[in-house]
Amino acid sequence: MVVTLERDEVSELIRSEDMWEPIGPTPMPEIPDLRNWSMRLLKTYKPFYAPFCDLCCFCTYGKCDLTAGKKGACGIDIASQQARMVLIACCMGLSAHGAHARHLIDYLIERLGEDYKIDLGMQVNVEAPIARTVTGLKPETLGDLRKVVEYVERGLIHLVSSTHTGQEGSNLDFEVKNLHAGMLDLLVMEAADIAQIVGFGYPTSIADTPLVDIGWGSIDRTKAMVLCIGHNAASANAVIDYLRANDLEDEVEVCGICCTAHDVTRYSDKAKVIGPLSRQLFFLRCGIADVIVTDEQCVLTNVPEEARKTGAALIAASDKICYGLENATERETDEIVQEMVEEGKQFVIFDPEKAGEVAARVAIKIAPRRKKGFIDEAEAQELAKGCEKCKAYMCSQACPNLLPIQQGMQQAAEGSFDRLRSLFDQCFTCGKCEQECPRHLPVVKIMQSVATKETFKLRSGRGPIHDVEIRKVGSPIVLGTIPGIVAFVGCSNYPAAGDIAEMAEEFAKRKYIVCLSGCAAMVAAMKKDEEGKTIYEKYPPDFDAGCILNVGSCVANSHIAGAAIKVANIFATLPSRANYEVIADYILNRVGACGVAWGAYSQKAATIGTGFNRWGVPVVLGPHSSKYRRLYLSRKEEDDWTVMDGRTGQLVDTQEPTPEHLAYVIESKERAMVTIPKLCMRRNDTPQGRQIKLTHYISLYKRYMGTLPDDLHHVVRSTRDIPLVYKKEVMAYLKEVGWKEKPALSLPTLIGTYPSKVRPEAVIH
Amino acid sequence: MAEVMKLPFWRVNVLTGLKGARVIEDPRECASLIRRAKRPLFVAGPRAIDHYFDNGKTSLEYVLEIARLVNMPTCATAHVKKRMLELGIKPDSVYDIIEIINHLKDPDWQGVRKEGNHDLIVFSGIRCELAELGLSTLKHFAPHLKTMALCRYSHPNADYAQPILSDEKWKGYFEEVVTNLQH
Repeated sequence: MVVTLERDEVSELIRSEDMWEPIGPTPMPEIPDLRNWSMRLLKTYKPFYAPFCDLCCFCTYGKCDLTAGKKGACGIDIASQQARMVLIACCMGLSAHGAHARHLIDYLIERLGEDYKIDLGMQVNVEAPIARTVTGLKPETLGDLRKVVEYVERGLIHLVSSTHTGQEGSNLDFEVKNLHAGMLDLLVMEAADIAQIVGFGYPTSIADTPLVDIGWGSIDRTKAMVLCIGHNAASANAVIDYLRANDLEDEVEVCGICCTAHDVTRYSDKAKVIGPLSRQLFFLRCGIADVIVTDEQCVLTNVPEEARKTGAALIAASDKICYGLENATERETDEIVQEMVEEGKQFVIFDPEKAGEVAARVAIKIAPRRKKGFIDEAEAQELAKGCEKCKAYMCSQACPNLLPIQQGMQQAAEGSFDRLRSLFDQCFTCGKCEQECPRHLPVVKIMQSVATKETFKLRSGRGPIHDVEIRKVGSPIVLGTIPGIVAFVGCSNYPAAGDIAEMAEEFAKRKYIVCLSGCAAMVAAMKKDEEGKTIYEKYPPDFDAGCILNVGSCVANSHIAGAAIKVANIFATLPSRANYEVIADYILNRVGACGVAWGAYSQKAATIGTGFNRWGVPVVLGPHSSKYRRLYLSRKEEDDWTVMDGRTGQLVDTQEPTPEHLAYVIESKERAMVTIPKLCMRRNDTPQGRQIKLTHYISLYKRYMGTLPDDLHHVVRSTRDIPLVYKKEVMAYLKEVGWKEKPALSLPTLIGTYPSKVRPEAVIH
Repeated sequence: MAEVMKLPFWRVNVLTGLKGARVIEDPRECASLIRRAKRPLFVAGPRAIDHYFDNGKTSLEYVLEIARLVNMPTCATAHVKKRMLELGIKPDSVYDIIEIINHLKDPDWQGVRKEGNHDLIVFSGIRCELAELGLSTLKHFAPHLKTMALCRYSHPNADYAQPILSDEKWKGYFEEVVTNLQH
């Protein structure tokens, strides 16, 4: 039994009578409908597991040791257990985005009505490429977006169910479900971002969105300040509404950490971004925020405790995070304000408008009496003298980045702060070092003395890629003459803060299209060049070669996948409606896109990456992401790279591993620099396009590795692919390794190489 | 019998399982294990480039000396290749850490010298989280080989691991291994 919706119901939901495009084979697909596509991907990109834990602790038969071939009492082996853990993580991520979308859409429907029209402006006609392709529905109203969320909710139940003991037993089928969860995740993120764009009036159909301030140094500490943390900007926007309505915008600073920061600056360019989630504890402990408003996702779970330490007020505005606080939603606003100001009470307020008003009024009242600011070097030096130089280096033992904190403290105690300054660049300010320190040295507080006080510029999130941009770049992307789309996404658990800006700029200089989102977009802004400019000030914000654009918060990641879909749909004119396999196959073989989640930390990031993988987009992960336990890898020398030539119907062994991997962890920034251009290669590259891509691959490889790439023979298909500038040495290398020309084909596709309802001719455009 | 190690220096890598590394306290035993291996492989990561001892040598230089003494092939991960070439040594293979582990877990892989898969893999200089998880992969999925971690922070998922050592003692450990392989 697999069907949860009858065909007639699906037909009604997607308004099948609206013939904007023919309906493809998989409207509102359930897990089995795209299983074969997933299995085909997994045949080439086999799951690679790195168990984080050797045990299973889920049921009362356990704990069961699954080491090296042993099975649990239920029969599960270590590979399936890892895949199951990944599915649990993906379901967490999917449910976080799904609940976010559900809340936003319900809230906006309550305010605006379910018939409120979706209008993304003159530049965006294909408003929801993921929804169109996955579900077959062309969303026209907020009510339609709710249908999308309901479809996702149905899918989520089945996915979570399969993780229960005594359910799925195959690691491959767990992976099919992981890929399905990832697909649903991107879908529901798209619904969330479209809803907030139309409901809150965020920018759309413009690329040149405002440059907004980022960095704690940008805060005017003489003003009252409301700090919003999380991902759901409904309450943050309500703070802005209250200030606007009462002519108080110049009296109160509204700032954000994590994705709420992105979204509140899409609502008001006077709002400011403090920084990525990794600076959360650091900033809370500065005490600069008068009122903290938490919403959902990536919020520290001990904010009430931290707020009390500095005397900041706290409002929890989401049912996801209630902290055990009293629910004041139904109480009188004046009463709440009074108790927060006079008694220091913290409350849950589920009504965004009420939360917004209370936050603004409390901030104005308590700001004058609060002491705010960073400690200086003299104070830091005194505090650092408390380091007892323990031989166990407990601070380093506990540090997620294994940083030599004791060295930094010792030098600070002697009045030298350079070491500490460089450590701060790699520090997530998680505070674990303080817990383990025998003297509980306030390391995070000491870090205030070395944190830059500069103001940086971040381009506000722009939402969907415009159809007209796709028409312009579609051809060069598919031919390979734009060498690739590189998307720096995700969180801030990176090896060093400056990596992302450096990588993004390198690829922009090389005329890749560089997209950013989420905390990656923020941290990329927090680095200036010698002229004091950030990458957002230096590069145009278009979706075009050599440009750098910020799509927005986590949920805006969906627009990057949407851009790849639009290339297939708008440029190649492939019908997208309920036509997942054809579109994903097109992206895998033709659209040279590569995601880079250099600092991914959350379950959501795991889900997002897996969603991109199902669309055929490879994702490079930073070293910490090895803790996700699973990658999708090929072995270029051994694996079968056979595809079908869609025009001839012949199977062709291309001998060409492009893209080589789908989910891949990299150890160093230098290695990432050489891997990203390789993962932008596609089978469909023209010789001219492959030449351009190889030029970048070779030049970066030479810079960071010192020689020609060792695997050139795998990615040079014919002598016409060889860049002129490297022709002589590449030819010599190819001769040395016995390279032979690879077969040419005109329309590479996986359709026809696995069982599918899709007919091979469906890929011809 | 050496102690079975569960708690490494870096708490993130604490073992959550039953099979932990045998701690090789004595560098002579470490040298003996390396010498006895039929087809060993030394995998060197980027921390080996960055880590300088007080005598001015990097840990990579010790790694290369050990490999030279027993004619052990090397695998340069990340961007180690460039530094090795600067030292005048061409690595026998260049794979990123995940790639080499993915190959090693296949018993039919022919190894970097095409002489068959390796029987002892010695790791040094790999980032701590990646090393531990890579060793976990091999512990679970590569029963055909043994792993050794020459890392002063120690690794529970290896078959053989160095004890947790200070920088000075780590240098001494390397030097002892080298001395024992010279004789």
